[in-house]
Amino acid sequence: MFTSFRQSMAWLHTWFGLALGYVLMACFFFGALSVFDREIDRWALPETRFAPQPMPSFDKVLLPAFARLEADPADYALNMPALHDAAKGPQTPRQELPPDEYWAYTTHRDPVLAIGAGFRVPQPKDPGLENHIHANATIDPRSGAAVPSDQLKIGSQWFYPMHYSLNWQWQNMGIFTVGLAGLVMLVALVSGVIMHRKFFREFFTFRPQKQTQRSLLDLHNLTGVVALPFHFFFAFTGLLIFAGFYYFPVSQFQLKPLHDQHEIIEARETGLPHQRAGIPAPLASVDAMMAEAKRRWAARDMAGEVGFLQLHHLGDANGYVSIYRAGSDRVALVGEAIHFKASSGEVLREEPPRAAVPALNEFLTGLHLQHFEHWLLRWLYVLGGLLGCACIATGFIFFVEKRKRQHAAAGSPGARVVDALAVGCVTGMVIAAVGMLVVNRLLPAGLSGKGEWEQQIFWGLWLLAFVHAALRGAPVAQARINPAWREQCWAIAALALAAVLLNWLSTGDHLLQTIILEPYWAVAGVDLSLLAAAGLAALAARRLARREQRALLSPSAAPETEVVHA
Amino acid sequence: MTRTHSRPLQQLGIALRILAAIPGGWAFSWGFVACGTAALVALGAPFHDAETALLMLGLLVFAGVFLWSFAARSVLRVCAVLVGGALLFNAAALLLQRAILS
Amino acid sequence: MPEAFWLLLACLLSLAGMAWLALAMAVHWEQVMLQPAARAAGVRLLLRGAGACALALAAAACLLADRPSMALLVWLMLLAASALTVALTLAWRPALLRGLCALRG
Repeated sequence: MFTSFRQSMAWLHTWFGLALGYVLMACFFFGALSVFDREIDRWALPETRFAPQPMPSFDKVLLPAFARLEADPADYALNMPALHDAAKGPQTPRQELPPDEYWAYTTHRDPVLAIGAGFRVPQPKDPGLENHIHANATIDPRSGAAVPSDQLKIGSQWFYPMHYSLNWQWQNMGIFTVGLAGLVMLVALVSGVIMHRKFFREFFTFRPQKQTQRSLLDLHNLTGVVALPFHFFFAFTGLLIFAGFYYFPVSQFQLKPLHDQHEIIEARETGLPHQRAGIPAPLASVDAMMAEAKRRWAARDMAGEVGFLQLHHLGDANGYVSIYRAGSDRVALVGEAIHFKASSGEVLREEPPRAAVPALNEFLTGLHLQHFEHWLLRWLYVLGGLLGCACIATGFIFFVEKRKRQHAAAGSPGARVVDALAVGCVTGMVIAAVGMLVVNRLLPAGLSGKGEWEQQIFWGLWLLAFVHAALRGAPVAQARINPAWREQCWAIAALALAAVLLNWLSTGDHLLQTIILEPYWAVAGVDLSLLAAAGLAALAARRLARREQRALLSPSAAPETEVVHA
Repeated sequence: MTRTHSRPLQQLGIALRILAAIPGGWAFSWGFVACGTAALVALGAPFHDAETALLMLGLLVFAGVFLWSFAARSVLRVCAVLVGGALLFNAAALLLQRAILS
Repeated sequence: MPEAFWLLLACLLSLAGMAWLALAMAVHWEQVMLQPAARAAGVRLLLRGAGACALALAAAACLLADRPSMALLVWLMLLAASALTVALTLAWRPALLRGLCALRG
């Protein structure tokens, strides 16, 4: 069916790229936003606009905050009946469950602190399992006070999971869809390089003055080629992060016996108790343990702050405290754990340096998850993500441009459909994201279920963009430009400007304030990016208008399409 | 297969290639990961190191067989290799595991 | 702020390196210099060498700023950003690159 190798690669590139490009577009765009997820959180939750804090004192701040936690009602309702052994007596009421595990997690970009607890089910069906009912909270580490929990962290709880799961939780379908898209990205890169006959000769080539198809292909090749290592490694490491758990969970299927045997051997080697002893024991000063951990890291020439803290088997003689270093100065993720005996504070185990394979794995996953402190690299990642978007978007438009005259002549709706989907997916996605920020500033802070509203409006706006693109698509069927591109560019510009203005009106944080008077770059950065997006969108809209005019004046001339969306 | 085939046959060929590339490639690379992990453990590597190494390779193998499913001349050979390979790899993984644990 | 200095230097070096590599190519030389590339074969060879050196020096500057693992990422991403900048400059304002070659004679 394919007459040549190159033809088979072209078929693969075109059709898989078209089918999964829409998903990839969302991965790249929301991935680029996720680079600054914490900063977007600050923008959307004005009461958390203060400087990032180190891990606070456990004894003074964290312990009282942990003591206030209660098992989550939803988790209790869902999991308690499954874990509790009814034969041993009635269920322990939710508020009386004893805590078994506490954890706290922060990074160098977090003013607020994420904490959580695992409550023990006292009479479990299977004592060998973990048997935890969970609780999660966010606190102000300066005081220990809880930050209201029904507010959505738009950056880290919406844009970030959007990037790897499309916020489609049912059966983890989102994660599998993104996984397939990631695989297709790898395949598309390889086939794209094979199809591209002049990889080096046209490395710097972009000819905007040539005919539309040519300059589109130039731009498609340029954005794909210059960031090729970025595209490849982000698709690959993204897959790798989920591979062991979702895509190839061999250790939970046919190799489970081997895996379980290894766990037993490892537990014996590390000497960290797997189970409670059943003997009550007090808790020594965790602050002293944190200080000791920092001293030991400094002695290994990796001085750093505590990033993750976990207490196991609370109140039991087998209890221990694990302290992990925040990975802000290197690519590999949090690590160098030191484990202390909870009752005495003595060191049980200091994790040795990693062997080659786990070290490579930590580097690869770390370069994707980016917990490091490096603002230049963060912005370069944003650029990489936007180049990915530009590459995919130009791919779509090229597909349409190549076929629309032919389809128009044959009366086929193909090009019109693809074009409408591309509009909804390129400009529509930006409208949904920026619109969500606008709504965040419009709805009152005290509104109950505000996060729910924001999510619904996000989907609503996106759907609206698709509908608009479909309704306005008639000109494509006559081989002209869909005016929806231009109109949605104007919508982006208006929404982005509105978001900046509303941020000023609702919080008093205008750019002069956040840049000069009281510098707060997290909010200033989001505002400036919104302004840049508004400027770019307005520019694109004006050029599109000019091209539409030109096409109307001289119907014989090739109509052209703008490609500045990123 | 060549150009001389009729249109429905071509479409069947494409459908088979897509099936080979996605579920077939997945089963094949799953088997590769399982078998490779068991083999490395048999050679003395710690389980998680072996698993991690094979996950990295497995993803590249998946991408590779995906491309091959479309590049190869014969669809039937692709299907045979991927299904056969998946069965063999998974069986080998189970046998190796049994040998290690006994 | 020694890191900031090395990073700035790395940015400039990779930008210059990519620009020189582009100018070493006949089509871009003609685009920028508005004269046949064949006449400047020697200069273009020199530019290719200078470009490669600048990119290598950019890598060195990255290594001075950060740990090696981090420096590798910064360098690769800087190459991407510089190549894009050079390509867009060539497309819209090629004359801007003329000065870069005057530096080398």
